[in-house]
Amino acid sequence: MRLWLNHLRRTPLLLFLVLYTIVSGGPFLWVMSMSLRTTPEIFDDPYALPVRLHWEKFANAWTNSNYGTYFWNSLIVVVTAVALVTLIGAMAAHCLARYRFRGSRLVRFVILSGMILPPQLLILSLFQILLDYGLYNSLAGLIIVYVATQLAMTVYILEGFFAQLPQDLFDAARMDGYADFEIFWRITLPIGLPAIFTTVTLNFILLWNEYLYAVVLLTDDEKRTLPLGIMHFMGGHQLDVGMIATGLMIAIAPVILLYALFSETMIKGMTAGAVR
Amino acid sequence: MAEPAAPPRTRIVAWLMGDSVADSRQAPARTILLFLAPALLVYAGFTIYPVLRTFYNSVHTIGPHNVQTFVGLDNFVALVTQDRVFWKAVANTTIFTVVGTVADVLGGLLLALCLFAKVPLARAMRVIWFTPVLMSYVIVGIIWVWLYDYDWGLVNLVLGWLGLESLQHSWLGDPATALWAVVVTHLWKWLGFNMIICLAALHALPEEVLGAAELDNCGWFAKLVYIIIPMLRPTLVNLLVLSFIGKMMMFDLVWIMTAGGPLWSTETVSTYVYKRAFNWNTFDLGYPSAIAVLWFFMILLFVTLMTRLLRQRDRVEF
Repeated sequence: MRLWLNHLRRTPLLLFLVLYTIVSGGPFLWVMSMSLRTTPEIFDDPYALPVRLHWEKFANAWTNSNYGTYFWNSLIVVVTAVALVTLIGAMAAHCLARYRFRGSRLVRFVILSGMILPPQLLILSLFQILLDYGLYNSLAGLIIVYVATQLAMTVYILEGFFAQLPQDLFDAARMDGYADFEIFWRITLPIGLPAIFTTVTLNFILLWNEYLYAVVLLTDDEKRTLPLGIMHFMGGHQLDVGMIATGLMIAIAPVILLYALFSETMIKGMTAGAVR
Repeated sequence: MAEPAAPPRTRIVAWLMGDSVADSRQAPARTILLFLAPALLVYAGFTIYPVLRTFYNSVHTIGPHNVQTFVGLDNFVALVTQDRVFWKAVANTTIFTVVGTVADVLGGLLLALCLFAKVPLARAMRVIWFTPVLMSYVIVGIIWVWLYDYDWGLVNLVLGWLGLESLQHSWLGDPATALWAVVVTHLWKWLGFNMIICLAALHALPEEVLGAAELDNCGWFAKLVYIIIPMLRPTLVNLLVLSFIGKMMMFDLVWIMTAGGPLWSTETVSTYVYKRAFNWNTFDLGYPSAIAVLWFFMILLFVTLMTRLLRQRDRVEF
């Protein structure tokens, strides 16, 4: 009886929870359903479930609307940039966390101050600079810019983790005659793997979703990344809601797939910069 | 007879390898340089140099064929005294930032408290609530443009079902509501993020304190205001600052949903910078650089003030 009363008292709370779950998860399911329906079907009733699953829309988007190219561009840019920023950032973080040297505070301050620079302060001159270097409108240029934008956050997270590794470990390695680079490669990196996973997740999601730098620094259709490709398609086919939804699904699918498998790791990764 | 010098190549290799020092906290300068060099090079070329160049641009007018004329502080003077769109953008960004930041953190805390109250399926809901954080602004923006659509958007449909036809509205088409519509979308995307961090902080609270409050027959509201919020203060301040910085730089979502329109009602400083630089066909990067520089110092000022203000009262006695 008491238990039952208790539940009754909490009904408003439970109702609110159900409602918010629908509000936060519903739009994604809606897009998923629309991605398998044709535009006439959608305009008939936007919120109905698919009657017949039009999987051919994905093949159509992939080849005819150039989403295949956008997808590969995104994948190449993001994977390369994440690999580079992880390696470069881990080297710097290892150095800042392990060694005492003159100027270390200055180096740390300079690199970490990159976290508060607004993109607007960089984007206009990056446009000019990439033109000067001949990197404008190239995936390589975008990759370097991405590495630079994610560097500060990466060093910040990794250094915090590396600094907590016990010093004895490194003393022992030194005694065994490990050279400095071996210590980094054989000890810091393997032991730091959890923190590295965190930064990889964070950087992957942020860069996969990135729009501003890409829209300023790329112009060719053949070089567009997914967010640009979707906006480009949207510009030409404003009313073709069904195909736009298919494009959106192509962009979300990898992220959602990873999330379904590693939700806890990804939640941890995305919030890593905010918890101290 | 002097020993012959080592050939240059071996010397370089020896220099690079360095000789081990016994104290593992010490390393030869060259080793340190090697570890830092890639990061510092990328950082110097693609962060420090662009920032300096933006500062340089902000006191120049850049004409066609990159002809640069020094104009001193003219850009800044024009910006502050004559540019009404800029001030409109500042007002919009300020509203967006203040309302959005408060709603973000309070909403996140509220959702976290709901899950903290030992409800069924809390873990599953936590995972679902976080999904919007993973979606790009492009995706979120397009979905919400559809949801706000006058004819078939869900927002108007739900109002219709509830018998509130009079409230049906062209949410993004009306200058009076467009900014608020974007604020709601932004809130929807980030609530899950704030919720996760508040929830983690709640779980880290010492059980004895909450238990003692229970013994003292403390009501849930009193418990929230006098115990939970003060103890979560460092986390909340952190979230406020993060959310604040993010919103002061807001570009993508606004650009995708309204592109600053209608009638500049959603123009933010960032979208205005972008428009002046790339959409006005003047090709003058000097003036928008001045906007970016001025705005950067304003963000810096606000964030410093905010942390000072909130951290001073941080030393609460327990």
